[in-house]
Amino acid sequence: MVILKRKEQVYTVEAGKTLEQALRELGILPETVLAIKDGRIVPLSHRPADGEELELVDVISGG
Amino acid sequence: MKCSVCGREAVIKLRHAGLRLCPEHLVARVEKEVAGAIRRFRMLAPQERVLVAVSGGKDSLALWHILVELGYRAEGLYIDLGIAGYSARSREASQVFARERGFTLHVVSLEKELGATLDGLTRLARGKTCSLCGTVKRYLMNKFAWEGGYQALATGHNLDDEAATLLGNVLRWDEGYLARQYPALPGEGKLVKKIKPLVFLSEREMAAYCLIKGIRYLYEDCPHAQGARSIALKGVLNELEDRYPATKISFLRGFLKVRDRFRPPEPVVLQDCPGCGMPTAADGPCRFCRLKGRVSHGAAA
Repeated sequence: MVILKRKEQVYTVEAGKTLEQALRELGILPETVLAIKDGRIVPLSHRPADGEELELVDVISGG
Repeated sequence: MKCSVCGREAVIKLRHAGLRLCPEHLVARVEKEVAGAIRRFRMLAPQERVLVAVSGGKDSLALWHILVELGYRAEGLYIDLGIAGYSARSREASQVFARERGFTLHVVSLEKELGATLDGLTRLARGKTCSLCGTVKRYLMNKFAWEGGYQALATGHNLDDEAATLLGNVLRWDEGYLARQYPALPGEGKLVKKIKPLVFLSEREMAAYCLIKGIRYLYEDCPHAQGARSIALKGVLNELEDRYPATKISFLRGFLKVRDRFRPPEPVVLQDCPGCGMPTAADGPCRFCRLKGRVSHGAAA
């Protein structure tokens, strides 16, 4: 499983998909977040490996 | 995925621009777009002093950083609105950013200037929090810029902000607002020139820029923004953008071509407020002074 952390929420998705596919499966528009690993941006085309953990940062600000 | 410029590993795909970029070329694109907007809309001359309104968020901090990188004389202004918890954290983010870079940050307290925090004002005055916040921030930013002798006031409004504002104005066919929506509004009397150098850059690009450049910004949104109309408008535009890439940039660029057709319903005549001397379209005290009066009246009651 792949772990995606977004603020207090933790999502798990099956490995083997691209990040974009995983986000769409979760109902998240891919361009509204940035995925981060070890302080670096992870592209939407990346296929996270089983057990991989990524942080999702919302890029849409309010107000 | 390879960078469209250098062929190295790309980290971001910008569908609206038809680009895949590595960190180095994402940074280069953002800075080039800012320089381009400044030139195209004649926002700043090299010797002019610019005051950047900072909130601790990604856009305003990145804007300040870029303006200094481009060689402009930019200082920051943080307005402490006194929003419980949130203001302390956003002020801290702004102060840390400025301190780490040796930038000059000015802090103005709404409570000191008005006699009430935004939370207190919302309780006392009739009106929506976001509208009151806009009124007091616009007033204080302009007053500080005018009194400090700055030639321009820069805000971090980005493509997503501007497209959402435009959609909101179009849905109401608000000709007055449409006539005034522009990346650079010239100064007039005591009204300082207002500029939005990030106008053609998406939120996604700005967030990526901050991460790459190590700009630590506050991820948190203002608690009053929850349920705000602007968020709903951004949501609609993001759905459209997902299906039809470049919707936002086309919408905004197309508007800028026809904006001249919109005129305010009546020409706005500015006069000095009898209370504070700052410009106002009102007959009598400006809105800030009226709010101040209501606060002191409410506090005395």
